[in-house]
Amino acid sequence: MSAPAKYLALAGVGARRALGERAALVGYCVFLGSVLFIFARVWKLIGVASPLPGVGPRELVWYLALAEWAVLSAPMVYLAVEADVRSGDIACRLVRPVPYVGAQIAEALGEAAVRLLALGPSAFLFAWFFAGGLPADPRGLLLAPPLALLGSLLWVLSLVLIGLSAFWIVDTSPVYWIWQKLGFVLGGLLFPLELYPEWLQRVARFTPFPNLCWAAGRSAFGFAPVEACALFAQGVGWATLLGLALYALARRARARLVVNGG
Amino acid sequence: MAKLRPTLAFLRALVATNLRASLALRGAFLLQAGLMILNNLAFFAFWGILFGRFREIGGWKLPDMVTLYGVVACGYGLAVAILGGTRNLARAIADGQLDPLLVQPKPVLVQAVASASTASGWGDVVTGVGMLWVAGKLQPESLPFVIVAVAVSGLVFSASAVVVQSLAFWAGDVAELARQLWNWTLNFSLYPRPLFAGGISFLLYTILPAGFVGFVPVDLVREPSLAQLALAVGACVGWCALAFAVFQAGLRRYESGNSFGTRPS
Repeated sequence: MSAPAKYLALAGVGARRALGERAALVGYCVFLGSVLFIFARVWKLIGVASPLPGVGPRELVWYLALAEWAVLSAPMVYLAVEADVRSGDIACRLVRPVPYVGAQIAEALGEAAVRLLALGPSAFLFAWFFAGGLPADPRGLLLAPPLALLGSLLWVLSLVLIGLSAFWIVDTSPVYWIWQKLGFVLGGLLFPLELYPEWLQRVARFTPFPNLCWAAGRSAFGFAPVEACALFAQGVGWATLLGLALYALARRARARLVVNGG
Repeated sequence: MAKLRPTLAFLRALVATNLRASLALRGAFLLQAGLMILNNLAFFAFWGILFGRFREIGGWKLPDMVTLYGVVACGYGLAVAILGGTRNLARAIADGQLDPLLVQPKPVLVQAVASASTASGWGDVVTGVGMLWVAGKLQPESLPFVIVAVAVSGLVFSASAVVVQSLAFWAGDVAELARQLWNWTLNFSLYPRPLFAGGISFLLYTILPAGFVGFVPVDLVREPSLAQLALAVGACVGWCALAFAVFQAGLRRYESGNSFGTRPS
């Protein structure tokens, strides 16, 4: 079996697992609907024109739908990695013919793909319903799927990185909370970075977080393929950096495991 | 009242034991509580940014939002720190883990919910107190209302969770449903009240009692009055009575897990 075929098979395992957790999928859909409902009300109550040209309450609801779509699609893979480390099961998984970290990423991406497919139509319908129609330039929505997919990949890579930190800190949940909230705030999950103070926008641009949510979300503001390509390239750059960080951390973790004897 | 006093003394002893157990691992305790404070502040940053840009949402301003977060964070923090067993009650019922509690002389519900503690809850409490201080609500004249509001928020949250988790007596493992309702109640209680009108408000005072966890206690702190106090306390007593009644009714249907084991303490 070639390496790509092995990873594809692992992604299939993840996809089947996501399909089996139907209640969780429904839960995510309902959660997405409730968040869109609340923020549709927020923009309605604020009732002023957005300071962004060509962007009104309707586009802001669509922005949130796309940003949430990318975020909710990423599975909590750090919990699986942490559980393997804590239980010692990781020692058994290291002898398998696929690198442990690669296997985790492949499985998580399989799950993410199913969630993207399941949540996509829900996000579309809820956004259309609560926003009262499509955004002013709906062609921009066509650019959202690759950016949301890349956003999910970045979430997955960062969560595997957090999971591997269990080798040193055992309970990784607090690290996840901080990363998640930084992702939400600096990634512009609930509203676009353009509404942030200038200094915070500058800080956010030096982090990978805008590629997690904002990049997909701003497709709701219009059809801008050049900008979307630039954001995609930037996302690929961050994914490469995260991949290198994962490689380095996995090597150190493996050395630590050998020293401790599993 | 004479019957209630030993139960309250027992509850106090359980809380003290849980606190001592948490503090025994001081490093982990401080890390969890500290990171929870950071987590809360990072999430609140959203509202800071939004109110910084738009000043008001349906008549609510940033100090109102700070007060809401303060009350709910304190209430929720105390709920999970003192009554931490509530979160896993459904799983305990479905797995037959109440067996050791049935032979104890104290109420089963009190033992089940107060025999566990979540250390990060103290981080929520610290965040909440800090926010109430920032909002200027810790003055002597408003402090009694703040204490009642926090108690109502935490007790209604716990009581509603007990009601949902007790469904496990009839429906088996409802842990996932209970977890979702737990999260939604908390989430909805952290948004400004004017966002919710019509049918959704009915939902927020019944199935997901976010109204009694957030809006009613916060109104008591924002505009204290006897009517607000009566509403908050009445809702709290009602939810606690309902939780106790549902749990007791369910307990009569409880089936042992027939599992052998030991229970510390």
